Amino acid sequence: MNEVRKPRDPVTGHVKALAKGFKYLVEPNRMTLDYPAETMKLPPNYRGFFTVDDKKCIGCSMCEMVCPPEAITMVPRIIGEGGKTLPAPEGEKEAKGPKRTKRPVVNWGKCIFCYFCVDVCPVDAFIPTQVHDLAFEKDNEYRPSYEEYLKPPEEPYKNAKKVVSKADLKRGVGYEPAP
Amino acid sequence: MSEKIFNIDDLQNINVEGEKYIILQIGPSHPGSGHMRIKVWLDGDIIVKVDPDIGFVHRTSEWLSERREWIKAIPIVERIMLPDTVHANLAYVLTVEKLLSIEPPPRAQYLRSLVAEINRITSHLYGIGIFGIFLGSSTVYMWAFGDREPFIDLMEMLTGARITTSYIIPGGVRWDMPNGFKERAETVLQYMERRLKDYEDIWVKNPVVQARTINVGVLKKEDAISLGVVGPNLRASGVYYDTRKHQPYAAYPNLDFEIPTMKNGDSYDRLLIRVEEIKQSIRMIRQILKDLPEGKIVADQIYNQLNPVMKKNYEEKKRVMFPAFMIHMRPPPGEATAKVEAGRGEIFFYIKSTGDKYPYRFRWVTPSFRNLPFFTHVAVGHRLADLPTIYGSIDYFPPEADR
Amino acid sequence: MSFIPISLIIWLIEDLLYLIIFPGLVTILVLVIVIIWLERKIAAKVQMRFGPLWVSKKIGGALQSLADLLRYSFQEVIIPEKADRLAFILAPGLMFAFATIALIFIPVGPYYSVLFPSYYTILFSLALIIITPIFAITVGWASDNKFSFIGALREGFLLISYEVPFLLSVVSMIIIFRTYDYISAVQSQLNFLPGIILNPLAALVMLIVMIRTTGRFPFDITEADSELVLGLFTEYSALFFGVGMATPYVELYNFSLIFSLLFLGGWWPLNINVMNPVYGLFLPGLVVVIKAFIVMAILVFLRAVYPRYRLDQAVRSGWSYVLLLSILSVILSVVEVMFLR
Repeated sequence: MNEVRKPRDPVTGHVKALAKGFKYLVEPNRMTLDYPAETMKLPPNYRGFFTVDDKKCIGCSMCEMVCPPEAITMVPRIIGEGGKTLPAPEGEKEAKGPKRTKRPVVNWGKCIFCYFCVDVCPVDAFIPTQVHDLAFEKDNEYRPSYEEYLKPPEEPYKNAKKVVSKADLKRGVGYEPAP
Repeated sequence: MSEKIFNIDDLQNINVEGEKYIILQIGPSHPGSGHMRIKVWLDGDIIVKVDPDIGFVHRTSEWLSERREWIKAIPIVERIMLPDTVHANLAYVLTVEKLLSIEPPPRAQYLRSLVAEINRITSHLYGIGIFGIFLGSSTVYMWAFGDREPFIDLMEMLTGARITTSYIIPGGVRWDMPNGFKERAETVLQYMERRLKDYEDIWVKNPVVQARTINVGVLKKEDAISLGVVGPNLRASGVYYDTRKHQPYAAYPNLDFEIPTMKNGDSYDRLLIRVEEIKQSIRMIRQILKDLPEGKIVADQIYNQLNPVMKKNYEEKKRVMFPAFMIHMRPPPGEATAKVEAGRGEIFFYIKSTGDKYPYRFRWVTPSFRNLPFFTHVAVGHRLADLPTIYGSIDYFPPEADR
Repeated sequence: MSFIPISLIIWLIEDLLYLIIFPGLVTILVLVIVIIWLERKIAAKVQMRFGPLWVSKKIGGALQSLADLLRYSFQEVIIPEKADRLAFILAPGLMFAFATIALIFIPVGPYYSVLFPSYYTILFSLALIIITPIFAITVGWASDNKFSFIGALREGFLLISYEVPFLLSVVSMIIIFRTYDYISAVQSQLNFLPGIILNPLAALVMLIVMIRTTGRFPFDITEADSELVLGLFTEYSALFFGVGMATPYVELYNFSLIFSLLFLGGWWPLNINVMNPVYGLFLPGLVVVIKAFIVMAILVFLRAVYPRYRLDQAVRSGWSYVLLLSILSVILSVVEVMFLR
């Protein structure tokens, strides 16, 4: 059952390994993306940073209930004219009155981008984007206020060359300029 | 090697360092140890006793899941088994579906098998890469991790995330296949087949690799069965057992594939069997892409609960949104188990529900935890330089052993 | 009377210039910096990636080694409490010094000689090269760390197993050229055939020993990354570490010079006998250094292809296959001398 095996083909093995290594040394076959001189444009269903549409949201709080790391908190708002909301009066946890409502704010330090919240919303109020590489300088930028959260996230490195990845027979992942 | 399993109690009295043995702590901050500590007693260059010390990455996934809703356990379980996220996701969802008595439609079953097989290829490439860097060759490490990129880009095109996809939910899957996926997948598979030949020339048939791995870490067939080893390590020792054939799930009853086994059970066989399994996975992906049935991607019990906005999203973008009952699911009281063949071995789930909104008992066993006897029983009697060889060949992943 | 001291002074200044600029310290430092960068670039190209790129992007990252050297100069020096202080501090420097001193006796042109022309340059240079690994063992002993200690033991085992084949291969070339001097050896190659055709077995043995001594893959055993944390230099930081990492490349340069002088014909296309600094030293020296650099680049390419051997496999092959090859090469050269008179 346990026969002792000797290594097979000692001489040709060395020659073939060296030849294959030399072949890869000479042919052009790099598959690295030269980030941040080039950045990738991602497919349209990529799960990146997202914001909310102020007028569509009804304040049902289902996103807060479904979030696995509990990254969404609801802030109290008051419905103003044109459907936009205004902040609640200072120092009150819940808004009062017949025009009270809530809106979600995401803590980016906790969010895992699973998009359970985007998928559970009954009115489809979240607006997803494909931005994925934001960086924050200060700690309180991870927990934005609602007005900051409404602004759509901007991509860094605007001057970079934009490429799109495609499958390539020679090097696995090839990059061609984005249309 | 010995006829019986090496009796660990015979060596209990060497615990003290002295003139004959030195204790080496291949500790957590060591390039060749992963997230664990391996205590090794050495007599010159020969290993006399090995004591693996695990638990450095224990993240209490079972405790957390017993205090959160049922749907929130999906990201927890995924992030524990990192190279193999889809299989962990699939095992949990199969258990919950047994409790809820929901059957997903055929197209969802085929899509689940598709992502599972893509994930098996990336998991085996991860294992081959880590094996290479433990033996000292950085070429195979960079090649294997670079070759994962086309497959991860396929997952990104299909599900929207690269590795932790959270793609499988109770009742079906979340997104459908976009246009252009089948052509891209065919290009990637042809690329991988050409690369497997390059791997053979520079790595598998390399005389240095053969000299380092042949007859090192031999695990015989009887020892493999009685020690409880799972996965490709079991099949490399000659045992013909695979959950996809013996207790099938998802689309595997309809697919045509073979289970490779090897005869000798040494480290070279464990390397060869991973390459063979990649070839079988490529074959399965081609069959799935050819035979994909039409239809819905969620079960009717869930589809009928979607409101009109969600149904419009399903028609236009092929995206399944969650009805409200998914947040506070209360499966009927009962117990359920499920077994899934991941890249490293078998995942086993046992969940007990009492009708509450949290699970009552959430228990799962991962394949790396079952592969621990390799350290204590197989490594004894070899030289110190054989310890990374054995470690790399069993494809042990410490975070999934600690859960 | 007064011109004797002047010519003495000129002679001393000339020697100093040779020792410091070409082929001395400055050449060694420039070559070491370039070969470290080239190793990373070659390995990266085989592995389908870029390697060092962003430090000086327009020239492909060539100043990366200089940036690393600057970083080592400013790091904090950490000495373990129970280490043997004198040996810890002195040993890396002595290793580098002895590796560099061997270059005094390796002439790169027919005009080259330091302090006095000699007929025994091969023996002197070999004697100085063989001393260096002793300081490597001292480095491993001086740090109070089990991993360095095991690395030092491995270096000792391998050092002993591969010295005898090395000396036998050089002896076989001495038998063929019938001289103990590099310059006469190159002259006989220029008249007849390069050494690699005269005795290919000796060239093969010398290549294998070169790979072993400088720690190139597949004999990277003393700095085995996955078993010992970094082998000998685990506890070192700052410039001690930089010097320790650069010494194998200086040894590689020494061996490559010996290889190109004994086997590749030295300054072969230029059949020069003129005794002045430019044509007698600078031009042939350039040819020899370029040949040595090509040999270094080939050996450094092996990092991308091979993993490392185990210790007992390397020791066993040193005492069996390589020793056998070297004895055969001696016999081959004796046969050649007897029949090709």
